[in-house]
Amino acid sequence: MNRTYGARAAAGALAALLVLAGCSSKAKDDGGGDKAAGGVKTGEGISGKTITLGALTDLTGVYATLGKSVTQAQQLYVKQLNAAGGVCGYKVALTVRDHGYDPQKAVAGYTELEPKVLGFAQFIGSPFVAAVKNRIDGQDKDLVLPQAWSSALLGSSYIRVIGSTYDIETINAVDFLINKKGLKKGDKIGHVYFEGDYGESALVGSKHIAQEAGLTVVEQKIKPTDNDMTAQVAALKQAGVKAIVISAGPRQAASLVGVAAAGGFDVPVIGNNSAFAPQLLATQAGPALMKNYYVASPSLPIGADTPEAKKLVADYKAAYPSDALDNGIVAGWTAASAFGEALKKACANKDLTREGVDKALLTIDSFDIGFGTVQNFTDPAAPSSRESVILQPDKNATGGMKVVQEAAVSKEAEAYTPQA
Amino acid sequence: MSENPAVPQRPTAPGGPLRPESDEPAPAGLRPPSGTRAPGGRRGVPAPPGRRRARLTDPRTYVRAVGVVLPLAFPFYLDRFWLQAGLFAMAAAIGAIGINLLTGATGQLSMGHAFFLAVGAYGYCVFAADGGDGLTGLGLPTWLAAVLAVLVAGVAGGLFSPISGRLSGAYLGIATLALVFIGQHVMFNAHDLTGGANGRDVPPLNLFGLTFDDRELVVADVPFGSAEKLWYAGLLALLVGAQFARGVLRGRPGRAMNAIRDHRIAAGVLGVPVARHRAAVFVLSSMYAGLAGVLLALVFQRTVPDYFGITLSLDYLAMIVIGGLGSVSGAVAGAVFVSLLPQLLTRYSDALPFISAPGTGGIAPGEAARFLYGAAVVLVVLFLPGGLARVAARRRVRTEPGEQ
Repeated sequence: MNRTYGARAAAGALAALLVLAGCSSKAKDDGGGDKAAGGVKTGEGISGKTITLGALTDLTGVYATLGKSVTQAQQLYVKQLNAAGGVCGYKVALTVRDHGYDPQKAVAGYTELEPKVLGFAQFIGSPFVAAVKNRIDGQDKDLVLPQAWSSALLGSSYIRVIGSTYDIETINAVDFLINKKGLKKGDKIGHVYFEGDYGESALVGSKHIAQEAGLTVVEQKIKPTDNDMTAQVAALKQAGVKAIVISAGPRQAASLVGVAAAGGFDVPVIGNNSAFAPQLLATQAGPALMKNYYVASPSLPIGADTPEAKKLVADYKAAYPSDALDNGIVAGWTAASAFGEALKKACANKDLTREGVDKALLTIDSFDIGFGTVQNFTDPAAPSSRESVILQPDKNATGGMKVVQEAAVSKEAEAYTPQA
Repeated sequence: MSENPAVPQRPTAPGGPLRPESDEPAPAGLRPPSGTRAPGGRRGVPAPPGRRRARLTDPRTYVRAVGVVLPLAFPFYLDRFWLQAGLFAMAAAIGAIGINLLTGATGQLSMGHAFFLAVGAYGYCVFAADGGDGLTGLGLPTWLAAVLAVLVAGVAGGLFSPISGRLSGAYLGIATLALVFIGQHVMFNAHDLTGGANGRDVPPLNLFGLTFDDRELVVADVPFGSAEKLWYAGLLALLVGAQFARGVLRGRPGRAMNAIRDHRIAAGVLGVPVARHRAAVFVLSSMYAGLAGVLLALVFQRTVPDYFGITLSLDYLAMIVIGGLGSVSGAVAGAVFVSLLPQLLTRYSDALPFISAPGTGGIAPGEAARFLYGAAVVLVVLFLPGGLARVAARRRVRTEPGEQ
């Protein structure tokens, strides 16, 4: 290949490039916020008469069950919101992208949806939220409601965790064991937790309250692929623990409780809200779970005895007759309602831009949709609630859980400052 | 010994289970003596007069020109989603070239590619970060950090050479599999170095005073964010990586590697230092993975341990099988296919038949991508043993004589 040919080709290419670049649609045109009819300021995520919200969910990966419930609940909320007239005369649309708990797809999904949506009503997976955090805080400034309760996500005015984070939830859980299950100073508690963000966040909580209450934590770190808890139960029994906290998945919880019961190791076990699924009650571990197992949850269960919960169950059953009822529905519904509430407030302030919605959410200080806990969004550094409800598996209850202790915040959780 | 050592005297001859299409031009007899692709005419030998006109009428010249201009123009037109998808594909292509040198050209199975990608990605963060976020950071200039990260990946590959030089086939595959698990364990637990489960921020690349971050830089009225700027860095890295690999495959080392793949004992008899070549190509492949890791980290802007799992390693193996074992163009084609397919399906899930909208039941786009991907691997193995690159090569052989 001779040199002049290459040089000419390069020069030609460069010239063509510059000519072409001139007529790119990406070229900047000046134009700030639009003003629609009625004097409401609008910006990204609103075109025509539609407000688009994004949902980055997991329908094919490890959190597929949670993702499906959350997404369907949010779609139901949006449907009802539109049926009631929408927001400011705008219809709300939910664009869903499934990332299958894959970082590359999650980041790609965020990049794809970000220019088109006003904000995200759902974003599963705290590592992925963390991955785009700089973009959210730096230039996008869109409201994101992650379905991840990690204290590492606190502190941003745009990423707002709904409900108590895992560390606070664990503090409340251990507090329940102390008050109701006779755990006292000097006792040992076992903590079986997932390697990674969720489990480690919970461990921070159990260590905090252990120090305050004079307990000793016996740690058992497991991987999400470990399903058999025999070794952990043996180790905890050996160590002589009086109670066990589990921050893992439903399968691990069932194995732990089942193995402990089979071995005559009769101690109370309490899990975080992700450590239970109603399907477990049909397994062999079912009776043991109903006897010894408790779950700390940021809200009342789906089968709660409130009019709002009963209506949600009825509507959800009508819309998705074949799907199971679980607490993912409550989480999704709560997040979508919080976003909807922020939109309505922003509409009242005549500012439906991203900035306007962020500001509107910051003014919501007592948001209660009938699931027991009251959300306060005024402080970005704190979770929206520090309360936890303690539930117990019960196969006769809707959603498989009944309430044993109403929403409450322990004094340790009240005084605790999460580390961002 | 049951095998006849006389058989593999022609190392590039078809034989053995791995029979990839190498970049080596086919024997001269299969090719027309003239034409731009003739083995001699490419390098050094001046083109005879009259050739230039032939070149101007040759459609391939224009195809190639478009192929050069088009990627350069993309950042001016495509939005961030596409640029990011392209950057993922470029990073995958660099990594796939690396593993193709190892697995495709030398016949050494590696399941540990994800580990070396992680070494590159985290290595870059450790070298380049200034320690402001409480994690270990040396605060070196970012270009130096990128170079060092690639070298560290090479060193990691080198440390593995006592194993990689001695083992082959499935044994090496199992041995390298361990690397992925060790790597993920370290990533989750060495908090000061890796930031634990939530990963750590990646400092933006800074070259000649140009920072590859999201601060807007307006070029010809088009705002350039990180994706637009990185696009050119990625293209350059891919181009250099591809040319280097081509050089390796076409030269003496490439012949030696193919000889080792086709018949290790015969290669040894011919005087090829088998263990040394195996170890060296392992180091080189690790460095490619390291470079891919650095580019990925820059695109992600944050490294998270979940990414560097066993599925990533399998993805890379799928890329080279689909694209074509042993060739640079095959690796690139496979990487583009494997990394773009899921993103395309997800993006157009609303418009595609058989794929249901998320949350409504039925086949989700993520599942559909996996099905297609599995089908592609099976179809390629059954009907295109040389991969996508083979299709292009066959067409070339078929059309060229007709042009004369």
